[in-house]
Amino acid sequence: MSLAIHTDVKEQAIAAATAEKLEEKVAVRRLDFYYGDYRALADNNFNLYKNTVTAFIGPSGCGKSTLLRILNRIYDLYPNQRAEGEVLIDGENILSPSQDVNLLRAKVGMVFQKPTPFPMTIYENIAFGIRLYEQLSKAELDARVEDSLRRGALWEEVKDKLDASGLSLSGGQQQRLCIARTVAIRPEVILLDEPCSALDPISTAKIEELIDVLKRDYTIAIVTHNMQQAARTSDYTAFMYLGELVEFDNTTQIFTNPRLERTQDYITGRFG
Amino acid sequence: MALQSVPIEVRVKQSEQRAKTLRRFRIGDRTFLVLTQGSAIAVLVILAGVIFSLVHGSLPAWRTFGFDFFTSQSWNPVTEKFGALPAIYGTLLTSVIAMLIGVPISIGIAIFLTEICPERLKRTIGIAIELLAGIPSIIYGIWGLFVFAPFLQTHLQPWLIDAFANVPVLNQLFAGPPYGIGLLTAGLILAIMVLPFITSITREVFDTVPPVLKEAAYGIGCTRWEVVRRVVIPFTRVGIIGGVMLGLGRALGETMAVTFVIGNAHRIVPSIMAPGTTISASIANEFTEATGDLYTASLIALGLILFFITFVVLAIARLMLMRIARKAGN
Amino acid sequence: MTSAAPNARYARRRSVNYVATALSVGAAVFGLTWLALILTVLVVKGVGGLSPAVFTEMTPPPGGAGGLLNPIVGSLILTVLAVAFGTPLGILAGTYMAEYGRYSKLTMVVRFINDILLSAPSIVVGLFVYEIMVAQVGHFSAWAGAVSLAIIVIPVVVRTTEDMLMLVPNTLREASAALGLPRWLVIRHVAYRAARAGITTGVLLAIARITGETAPLLFTALNNQFFSWNLNAPMASLPVVIFQFALSPYEDWQQLAWTGALLITATVLGLSILARMLASKRMPS
Repeated sequence: MSLAIHTDVKEQAIAAATAEKLEEKVAVRRLDFYYGDYRALADNNFNLYKNTVTAFIGPSGCGKSTLLRILNRIYDLYPNQRAEGEVLIDGENILSPSQDVNLLRAKVGMVFQKPTPFPMTIYENIAFGIRLYEQLSKAELDARVEDSLRRGALWEEVKDKLDASGLSLSGGQQQRLCIARTVAIRPEVILLDEPCSALDPISTAKIEELIDVLKRDYTIAIVTHNMQQAARTSDYTAFMYLGELVEFDNTTQIFTNPRLERTQDYITGRFG
Repeated sequence: MALQSVPIEVRVKQSEQRAKTLRRFRIGDRTFLVLTQGSAIAVLVILAGVIFSLVHGSLPAWRTFGFDFFTSQSWNPVTEKFGALPAIYGTLLTSVIAMLIGVPISIGIAIFLTEICPERLKRTIGIAIELLAGIPSIIYGIWGLFVFAPFLQTHLQPWLIDAFANVPVLNQLFAGPPYGIGLLTAGLILAIMVLPFITSITREVFDTVPPVLKEAAYGIGCTRWEVVRRVVIPFTRVGIIGGVMLGLGRALGETMAVTFVIGNAHRIVPSIMAPGTTISASIANEFTEATGDLYTASLIALGLILFFITFVVLAIARLMLMRIARKAGN
Repeated sequence: MTSAAPNARYARRRSVNYVATALSVGAAVFGLTWLALILTVLVVKGVGGLSPAVFTEMTPPPGGAGGLLNPIVGSLILTVLAVAFGTPLGILAGTYMAEYGRYSKLTMVVRFINDILLSAPSIVVGLFVYEIMVAQVGHFSAWAGAVSLAIIVIPVVVRTTEDMLMLVPNTLREASAALGLPRWLVIRHVAYRAARAGITTGVLLAIARITGETAPLLFTALNNQFFSWNLNAPMASLPVVIFQFALSPYEDWQQLAWTGALLITATVLGLSILARMLASKRMPS
């Protein structure tokens, strides 16, 4: 039964993509994930297309955050967690042991649920990441910091207090700082793990606007438990249930006419 | 089945009994409150008692020597001339040596235990380091005297003397002859003693860093060292300093480990390898033999100075640790 | 969009990381090496003098054969007395701080002072007790030694008692108070029972701490060559005997010192392990 769904899902996705002539940026094949002996993700297959926003929705515990955290191998920090299968970014399997994890994370950035400014000034929060990879003159660095803060829709609010501590900002501003910090190192893929769940509605709206702008330059995956947010911000939506990726399609299709009854039930709120 | 109503005689007896019980409860509460509050106040009384008895016992010394007690180097029971300077110098020097060597290594061990050590080994190694903390200082003392000092005498000290023989200032600091015992030896033993203590506090403090903050740093591609240096340590800076100062407070007051290997010389010379004395070593070695009120009072005066120094250091340390505890609570 | 390609900069970062990791591991090895060295020497030298005589004979004059009976018994007596004096006081004080006076100013001050006393130089405690107990009556005594050890026990017990009682959830207290129990019975029947393992751990740790303490005994209980039960007279203790024997020039005295050191360390480590086992068995609910 599962196999049938997944072949279907893949075909759907390919069909949807071919229709719009989109490029595969990230391809996930037969992905399993284990916490110790417990299998949290089973046989996930999907693609992320270049310069699109893909939302992952599903009830609590379905594995959406777990899935996201595989894409930049941040789970590597925890010894009893492991992934099996293939995750191809630009054709290269990032799950292979020969993949350099630090370089992967330079290419695939992540913004977390809780805003996490580093214990440094606002300027340093951004410059720190840039300096890891590039040697720039002061002028060049200043320009890059300004550019990143503009991309994070934060420049106007902090341009006069770049020397203030990152922790002195409000929650919404801190999260935008984290987004700016992520784009500063020029990744290609950005992973957003429930970026607005700790924020007020106004900050949430600002960040959603931001996502719309960011997708012109980056490939974005966003996990959200807020379906309206998924509907607003994404081009593709993946519905997950109990560790399996059950349905994947254009967002409009998923929210107006999903193929599976279970998807329909979740979207209409019959279960949560 | 209808419930029988309780006859009136029984009810009166019950309420009498209840009144008696309530009275007993009240008396019990009152007594217990007084007992516990009194015990808490007793802690303050102990501190006050310590300060008062030290001041009282050392008065003859203060009256005789006054402020000169702090600056005089003489220590002569025969002529009854006593000065605290060599003891204060020794206490500070040995503690500084202990901190200079012990702190970087402690932080290194804490980093190892929190970031590098595989899960399976973490508990065992952590416990092993804490066992080091439990070894009483007299053990360090006799080990120092019979094993460590002779080792230093034959291996490290001659090397140090030769290595710096031609370097302008350092050849004074590391001048021979190699006694084995002395200020440097005492400092080194203190470093080993202070290691597990600072390590365990630093470890606790490192554990207050929210995992998501570290993940964010790894997320932009930082190496482990970069995460430790730019995120973990700045985040816990105040706590680390608090832990270091606690270690310093311990080192300053340490008696037995130092007494065995310090050499008991009330002298100040340039070489840090020379025999010297510390406040606690002086008291431990000389108190029971001290004859005459002035001698005893001078030793008690040393004790008062030591208590004052450690009190200040420990108070600052506690204040810093309280700050980071509050931060972690938020 | 360019992403970082492997280059010289990254290579340098990686080697810095490698060096830092190596240093960190080295630090751990360094620390463990000293532990191993000290324990090995202790066991090798101490075991050499172990024999039944150590536990049955008194300390000998220099050059004679003997054992450590009087210091061992003396230490036991002093420890029992110190714990008897210090534990009730410590538990009661900790109880006030966690129960009756949890948010009061007095508690804040006592907590601060207590933490300082916890790390204060023990030789100063010895001087204090000398002034109030020995100088007044003109002679050393086991009572004085016990009191000075008790003063070291108290802060440890206060700290652990307060910490353990604070861990007891308020819902437990509220439930029993709702039945009409007065404060002191709530504490006795509920809080103490819940925190029992933790408080016992604290007492064990305090005992481990005073087992090796020498400095405060030097001028309170002093020392005694002979076996004695007299609490009003000087009493031998293992740490002080080790101090005296180790610094002497006599080889058999030095051997006894090593054996005594081994006994003390074994006791301290044993108590610590026991305390740890107790602590891990009882997780706060």
